Amino acid sequence: MKANNHILGVFDDPDAATTAVEQLVKNKIAIKDVFSPFPLEHVWKKLKMKTRIPYLTFTYGALGTASVYGFLYWSSVINYPLIFGGKPTNSLSFVVVMFVLTILSGVIFTLLTYLVREKLWPGKQVNLPDPRTMDDKFVIVIEKNKNMDEALTKKIDDLLKNSGAVEVNES
Amino acid sequence: MYNAKVRGVLIEGGKTYQDITRDVLRPLDTGKTPLWWWIASFFASAMLVWGVWGFYNTIVNGIGTWGLNNSVSWGWAIINFVWWIGIGHAGTAFSIFLLVLHQRWRTSINRAAEAMTIFAVMAAGMFPLIHMGRIWNGFFIMPYPNTRGPLWDNFNSPLFWDVVAISTYLTASFLFWYVGMMPDFATIREKTTSAIKKKVYGILSFGWLGSARGWLRFETAALLMGGLTAPLVVSVHSIVAMDFAAGVLPGWHSTIFPPFFVIGAIFSGFSMVLTLMIIVRKVYKYEDYVTKGHLDAIARILTFISLIMGVAYITEAFIAWYSDSPYEMYVFFKNRITGPYAFEFWAMISCNAIIPQLFWFKKIRKNITIVFIISIFINIGMWFERFVIVVTSLSKTWLPATWHTYHPTITEIAIYVGTLGFFFLGILLFLRLLPVMAISELKGILKETSSVKKINENESK
Repeated sequence: MKANNHILGVFDDPDAATTAVEQLVKNKIAIKDVFSPFPLEHVWKKLKMKTRIPYLTFTYGALGTASVYGFLYWSSVINYPLIFGGKPTNSLSFVVVMFVLTILSGVIFTLLTYLVREKLWPGKQVNLPDPRTMDDKFVIVIEKNKNMDEALTKKIDDLLKNSGAVEVNES
Repeated sequence: MYNAKVRGVLIEGGKTYQDITRDVLRPLDTGKTPLWWWIASFFASAMLVWGVWGFYNTIVNGIGTWGLNNSVSWGWAIINFVWWIGIGHAGTAFSIFLLVLHQRWRTSINRAAEAMTIFAVMAAGMFPLIHMGRIWNGFFIMPYPNTRGPLWDNFNSPLFWDVVAISTYLTASFLFWYVGMMPDFATIREKTTSAIKKKVYGILSFGWLGSARGWLRFETAALLMGGLTAPLVVSVHSIVAMDFAAGVLPGWHSTIFPPFFVIGAIFSGFSMVLTLMIIVRKVYKYEDYVTKGHLDAIARILTFISLIMGVAYITEAFIAWYSDSPYEMYVFFKNRITGPYAFEFWAMISCNAIIPQLFWFKKIRKNITIVFIISIFINIGMWFERFVIVVTSLSKTWLPATWHTYHPTITEIAIYVGTLGFFFLGILLFLRLLPVMAISELKGILKETSSVKKINENESK
């Protein structure tokens, strides 16, 4: 984050932080982000945050099923058809391997999507607005922009404090 | 969503968020390595070393060092394999079933249960590998383009399904476990004062931030991975059961096997979780997190599963009689219930179906020592179950001239003890180096449980 450009509302209660988010949204003040030690479901709802990961997971699973069946069909029917006990080469029991590998492809590619989308990798350097969000504090980050005059800054300060912020910092 | 209030207070002792961070970080950051840890690690390593000898002996001198014979072609190796796989169902059963069911009491136990899963499945995986004899050819089990003509695996064989299912189970469980730890690694990164730990846990945390969008994606990805892994609990042990049920031996060739094995696996997994959590809560003084309420909940589940086990045993015997097949009759009534393997059979019945029924009594559920002893009995009973299934059916097949009794050799015992050592060493390293409880999840339920406490207090007034 760029320095000297943000207002940080620090809370020590998850419900107070949620109320503050609600108030800010009501006053049409753009919230850049909310940092918390554990997930706050209400904040996602208030900020209308959505994720499309479930659709992707479904796609990965479907592609996994299709490609595994393709491989089984190719290897057992086309490439080297071998009769076991007179049973058909295109066997119903392929279902077992397909089922398991569908799950495997779903799990692995969901994880990769998550890491890519969140831009996480081993050794990434982090710049937290307030390291205490990893322990017991909840921080609402509001970006200052050119249109923000003194009065609006004051209003944001008051809103945060009235909702129960223990500190309002600038960074 | 459905949030059960019946469990009462999940975190006792009036903890704050800071207390949770401090308590979970204590063993791996601020605290010194306790003496018991060194002693336990020494014993676990000694067991592992003996197991390495067993492996070495098997690889150098061959499977002949085992007590197997023409009729008993599967012995301790497959018994221990199934036993470990069963224990390996703890984590997923615990953490994922209860996650999907929104059971909040899982939060203090899931991490440790998942760690158990990883090490137990790895321990289990060693047995099929060593049983191949020529372990360096182990990659033959994978379907890959090869020089033996385009000869692929038999994709209709339960043994190949095993390969796929167990490697998938290990991968999926590990990834789920790791993803769950990323926020906690970030907490350690920010809280620790040691520069090395900051660096190492920083790398492990993948640069986790804990922003609102990050949490949303994290929760979604974790729930999806968990939801996808949940059916594996059923499929992995069903496939292991089909290793037996697809054979035509009396006592194995039975449609009850897959559900019976899955239930048995969850049974042994839960009992191992109980055994370990009772020790962990004692040595790390986590009584406020793993409360008597938690142990009570596990004990109740075990009582229920024990009843299912009892029904399964009775069903098997009933069907053997009802089928009017003399071979089935012989295996069940002459070679299990009576006969040379009666001790193992009755040990299985009493440990799995009878002793856990003591959990019906509240007094017994509240007495941690007795709960601990019963959980050990279940672990032993589940081992005997696999012994009974494997050895009684194999030792006396259709041709009496080939009948053989089976005794394990010192090499087989060494390998088994070695896997126990491996498992315990893994758990000990986990207890020393990783966050034993999910810090962020504990914080997530803290407020909710304290509100339950208020309700309870108001009612008692």
